[in-house]
Amino acid sequence: MPMAHRSWKPALAGALVALLLAACGGGGGDVPGTTPPAGAPTTPGAFRAVVSFGDSLSDTGTYAPATSLAGNGQAPYLGGKFTNNGATSTVWVENIAVRLGIALTPHEVGFGGASAKCPAAANPALASSCTAYGQGGARVTDPNGIGKSSGFLTVPVKTQIANHVARFGSFKDSDLVLVWAGANDVFTQFAVFGAAAGQVQANAAAGRITADEANNQLLAAQLAAQEAMKQAALELTGYVKTEILARGARYVAVLDLPDIVDTPFGATVAPAAQPVLRALSETFNLWLAEGLAGQPVRIASMYALNKAVKASPGTYGLTNGTVPVCDVERIRALTAGRITDGTSLFCNGTPGVPFNTLRTGADVNTWQFADGVHPSTGGHKVISDEVLRLLRSFGWL
Amino acid sequence: MRSTFLLLPLLFTGLAATDAALAQSFAIKAGAILYQPHSKTDGVRGIGIPPGADIDVGSATTAMLIGEVQFTPNTSVELVLGVPPRVKAKGTGTVAFLGDDVLSAKNVAPTLLFNYTFGEPGQKLRPYIGAGVNYTRFTGIRSRLAPQVSMTDSVGPVVQAGLSLQLAPNWGLFTSVARLEVKTEVVAVASSVLRTTVDFRPVTYSLGTWYRF
Repeated sequence: MPMAHRSWKPALAGALVALLLAACGGGGGDVPGTTPPAGAPTTPGAFRAVVSFGDSLSDTGTYAPATSLAGNGQAPYLGGKFTNNGATSTVWVENIAVRLGIALTPHEVGFGGASAKCPAAANPALASSCTAYGQGGARVTDPNGIGKSSGFLTVPVKTQIANHVARFGSFKDSDLVLVWAGANDVFTQFAVFGAAAGQVQANAAAGRITADEANNQLLAAQLAAQEAMKQAALELTGYVKTEILARGARYVAVLDLPDIVDTPFGATVAPAAQPVLRALSETFNLWLAEGLAGQPVRIASMYALNKAVKASPGTYGLTNGTVPVCDVERIRALTAGRITDGTSLFCNGTPGVPFNTLRTGADVNTWQFADGVHPSTGGHKVISDEVLRLLRSFGWL
Repeated sequence: MRSTFLLLPLLFTGLAATDAALAQSFAIKAGAILYQPHSKTDGVRGIGIPPGADIDVGSATTAMLIGEVQFTPNTSVELVLGVPPRVKAKGTGTVAFLGDDVLSAKNVAPTLLFNYTFGEPGQKLRPYIGAGVNYTRFTGIRSRLAPQVSMTDSVGPVVQAGLSLQLAPNWGLFTSVARLEVKTEVVAVASSVLRTTVDFRPVTYSLGTWYRF
């Protein structure tokens, strides 16, 4: 009997151990967005070019001709960048180029039907400076960006990269490649969601659908918008992998999206819709991280930066994160009623000039925003300071 | 899961065969089991999910089969196997509008119990208590909100109390109630990643007949 007792115990114990091992095997696995990039350089680059892909946030003057003071497309220009324009008003990529001692000019300049590639090349010394590809309104893949029908070029990031390859052949070890896109995909998808939500609410208000049906339809519209953001992020990371890294780029930093609820525009969004707007940036960032998992790039988080700025503006030298420096009414008056949304493309912050369109009392260095979504000169400096800090922390500078 | 399925009968045959000399008897029990969760989660978290989103797990009934090996007049070990029932969860809290069946899975939940049975063999009515271990694996996971859902396996203790009624020398009825600890981490991947930990806190109620060889 004692023998027999001993004989089943090991068998049972073995079986239990096997059961426990089997239990450890399941689940867990690869949760999207949790694997960081890996393998980017850790030593300083010998940079000779800043190659920037993106949208209005990185636009160094694509649409300047649209802001011609004479109205004939010729200089002098009132604006041209999506910030409070003026002699000392630089956007973040320009600040980085200045810090590296590298000339940086727009890859394409024009508006409506007419545009010129690399106009700076008229000066041979600047022939290879036109590597600022960012254009206001540009999306990741869709060539029909925001404002396309009004004459904005909105060349998507996909084509921006192709244009760089067409002109320069490949990427080089000496390129600092900066990619920041997706915000216009957020605005596009948020508009699609807003239209759907309006319809659902109208149906609910008229009693055509129940409250539960309305909530389900609102969620479906939100998830469709999130799905589109996931797709945009995976497309962008696809281009980073197959069109940038595979073509020789070594120093590649990808910026993620801030929470657009934290902009002056975001504050005007209905409270019920703000979480959806936030979710669109967060969804994009999640899949941006997932798409770049294990890739030899670095991610610079503008989401984290903007949250830190919102929590403590003074730390970043800012005093006002809610009121844009550009005055909607002054821009409207200056453009004879053509520009009614106060876009900073037509905003000029030069003190004392008749075409100054700043709000009375505004300070372009301490107020964060130029218009509803675009940073002021001070706001851009906060971005470039953070990116430079990160580049140093990567060991690239 | 396949390995578990292979393993359990092996264990079972092992117990039955190697200890044939020792075992006083071997019994088969069959019946129905009601799986009644009292679930708690730590909330459903993820991008785009409103605060206060939660789920609640519903109950399920299924057929079960138990093999029991008796070692002494009062001690036995039993292996409880059930036809895996589909257990469904409904949306609650701020996502109550989602209604029933936001997440469902078949619970494959073999349970091994060591029982102590009071009284003497041949007694008409014998109460018993038991303690053991439950292994739960979730298969056939479905959610209309996410194409890809994973649920981690669960291993936890079980206690039970039961009553055996002898109707003839080698067969009778039994009923038992058991409390299990079953916990799983859910990760659902759609346009975002949704996560929650579900503590099922199930109580099972069993009823059936037994046949002793």
